[in-house]
Amino acid sequence: MNGGAKRHHEARRVEMEKVLVFRTLHEETPGSKWRSLFDYHWPAYEAWYLSEGERERPGYLSCYNALRQHMPELLETYRALCELAGGGDLAARFLSLYQPPPYITGCSQAVLARPGAPLLARNYDYPPELCEGTVLYTRWNGRGVIAMTDCLWGVLDGMNEAGLAVSLAFGGRKAVGEGFGAPIILRYLLEFCDSVPQAAEVLARVPTHMAYNITLTDAAGRYVTAMIAPDRRASIRRVPVATNHQKKIEWYAHALASETLIRERQLSILVDDPATTEARLLEAFAAPPLFRRDYARGLGTIYTAAYWPVTGRVSYRWPGETLDLAFDHFAEKQLRVRYGPR
Amino acid sequence: MWESLVHLIQRCFQPPGSTQVSVAGPGRADITPTVIDGARTMKINNIADVRRHFRNNQEPVYFISATNFNLLGIGDWVGNFRHINYIDCFDGQQRNVFVPKEKFPRDFESIEDINNYLLEHKEVIDFIQSRASGENAGVAAFLMFDEHTEEICRQLGLRVAFPPAALRSRMDNKIETVRIGNKAGVPSVPNVLAKVGSYRELLEVSRELGDDLVVQTAYGDSGHTTFFIASEEDYYKHAEEIEAEPEVKIMKRINCRGSAIEACATRCGTVVGPLMTELVGFKSLTPYKGGWCGNEMFAGAFSQEIRDKAREYTFKFGEALREEGYRGYFELDFLIDMDNGEVYLGELNPRVTGASSLTNVAAFAHSDIPLFLFHLLEFSDVDFDLDIEEINERWSHPDSVDSWSQLVIKHTDESVDLLTRAPRTGVWTLGEDNRIAYDHYSYHPHAAENEREAFFLRISGPGDFRYEGADLGILITRGRLMDDDFQLTERAKAWIEGIRGEYAGQPLQDPVVEEVAVNHAIGGGNFKIL
Repeated sequence: MNGGAKRHHEARRVEMEKVLVFRTLHEETPGSKWRSLFDYHWPAYEAWYLSEGERERPGYLSCYNALRQHMPELLETYRALCELAGGGDLAARFLSLYQPPPYITGCSQAVLARPGAPLLARNYDYPPELCEGTVLYTRWNGRGVIAMTDCLWGVLDGMNEAGLAVSLAFGGRKAVGEGFGAPIILRYLLEFCDSVPQAAEVLARVPTHMAYNITLTDAAGRYVTAMIAPDRRASIRRVPVATNHQKKIEWYAHALASETLIRERQLSILVDDPATTEARLLEAFAAPPLFRRDYARGLGTIYTAAYWPVTGRVSYRWPGETLDLAFDHFAEKQLRVRYGPR
Repeated sequence: MWESLVHLIQRCFQPPGSTQVSVAGPGRADITPTVIDGARTMKINNIADVRRHFRNNQEPVYFISATNFNLLGIGDWVGNFRHINYIDCFDGQQRNVFVPKEKFPRDFESIEDINNYLLEHKEVIDFIQSRASGENAGVAAFLMFDEHTEEICRQLGLRVAFPPAALRSRMDNKIETVRIGNKAGVPSVPNVLAKVGSYRELLEVSRELGDDLVVQTAYGDSGHTTFFIASEEDYYKHAEEIEAEPEVKIMKRINCRGSAIEACATRCGTVVGPLMTELVGFKSLTPYKGGWCGNEMFAGAFSQEIRDKAREYTFKFGEALREEGYRGYFELDFLIDMDNGEVYLGELNPRVTGASSLTNVAAFAHSDIPLFLFHLLEFSDVDFDLDIEEINERWSHPDSVDSWSQLVIKHTDESVDLLTRAPRTGVWTLGEDNRIAYDHYSYHPHAAENEREAFFLRISGPGDFRYEGADLGILITRGRLMDDDFQLTERAKAWIEGIRGEYAGQPLQDPVVEEVAVNHAIGGGNFKIL
């Protein structure tokens, strides 16, 4: 596993097994654990960040200014992490996640809105060799946050102690513009928002560099899916599911390869059915079409995540493996997961 | 005068305060306390006050540029002075030169581009902020900057010690220079300013100038934007560039020598430096026809009459600039008509320039203060009242002007390779056999004590691509490097050959690498140092 470098993954029929080591780390304030994470993954991230040439990435001051303008509360944490990362220019630019190189993923996500016990579940579909596999439990800004990280402090999916749970999926559009990679926007939500309405306000104003579908729920059972993009206003609706398209299909090749419509339909049917239990939903995430084995094209399912905002429980799942965590019970572990054709 | 990295770098260079000469001026300093902006400061009345003011300076002053060439040695005069550069010519030995460690090769398009890159770089920002006092990060000086630079400086708490970029840009326009000159009584070569759409139009508008013409565009390095046109064929070589301009300057071609003079427009009057000769278009130094490649400063440059006229014109022009709102350091190119001794205004560079390195090392700069200190003073909050006439009088005296020359050495071959060896910055000696040898490290031209010694500032070093037009380095030495016929002397040739001989490169065998190198080095829009 070579860390979390991202690139558009060429379809390759490589019949080989891939292994990803998932780690859970608990560190209240930015410190040596996060630094070791940085040291381990930085070479791969650096290569990715420079993949289009250094000049294509904005300068440090632009990155800093973008953070200051759109997510000022994050600056203190950002500074601390930059310091831990060695104080360098390129690492700081990368860590801002402002205008990173474009990248695409798969993903399915759904909220099962049962009275008093909402559940956010998701599958993350991506090349295993490009996934960080780190679950971080932090308390950087007063709130406990458990999240699957990306780009060392960004969030693919996660939850905070106030009961806000978030998950991102690629929006299936080719539009690229001025803004942030969604993982840092999700980090911002978990660090500073307690509820879906608060988070929706943030999603409506913070610019994103690509199209993403962000599904949120909170302890009060509210939920929305925000379809954010660099070229249009955010669409925030009370929709409990999202896959990899926004309203209508624009990028047919990606839609076909990722089977986004099939997955969306399956999820919609499931969450609309009063008979669907948490167990049934999670079982569905563990089987086709939601669970995907398309590892050769970088669209295979890497993990399933489930977040229960009311109880503060979190579960990460793989075929035959489950990792149950909670804010009051978070063990540091490592878990090797094999991926490959059956 | 085309300003590339070195050229731009070459405009503010200063001598060390170690060889202090007695302060000229009347008796004891008369220091009158005044209150400015609520702060108790001293009014400056004479050169001793100026020296003391800058010696005790606490506010950080930065010269931000590709290299520190232009203002070498200013730190000897100004407390808390630092260079922030992209290229480290000193291999880390120069304490007051800050170069970010983490850099990626880039094809810069301009000096402004380099400066903006530096000012947006985290290491530079951290460095500036570490030396700031609250919101005040200090003073920034540049060769070139634009509105974006100004924005960044505002955010970082840096005060730009120059008139606004927009004004500088307007002043930089060659067409505008002619107009200001005309208004101030400073003549240009007989010319017309016109929009040209065809050869016929060119002939029509320039009928009174004859058929041997020189056409210049409003902006740009004169080495690249000056076109000599004596026939239709000449015209079509450059038609595209000429016709793209809203207005060009069309001059009668005269038999002239280029010269340069630097000055500083202050509230007390314009301080004028000595008239310098220019080295232009030597094939052993530059691949660019008409490209600037050095200067000489010596008391007998041109006749006394020509020197006096140039000084008078420069003073008038400085006063006219102040009326336009421009103040501070500037340089004028004068064209000296060798047939009749007429002095014509050639070009204005509203900034420090490639000649500043000589202006600021001469005897007058050390007996009084370097010209650049007048510039800093003008842009400080300090009240001053100096007798500029007296200073000009002193500076015009032949005894004030010792002899210095500089060569800007570019790679002149079409070949591209990767440098594996380069001469170090410092003092080099020229032996009896005309071979050169490294003597010792220094950061200052004054370390070269006689004509067999020279200070070399290395620009291109190991790991850099060597391509046609790349600046290899700058050599500064005492004495002249041209003879009375404006040809390079044998000593100059020996130095050029010697320095070139100290460079070695690795040919680029891999065609792909070579293509990358060529694109990187000389691709479209690539920025060259000079």
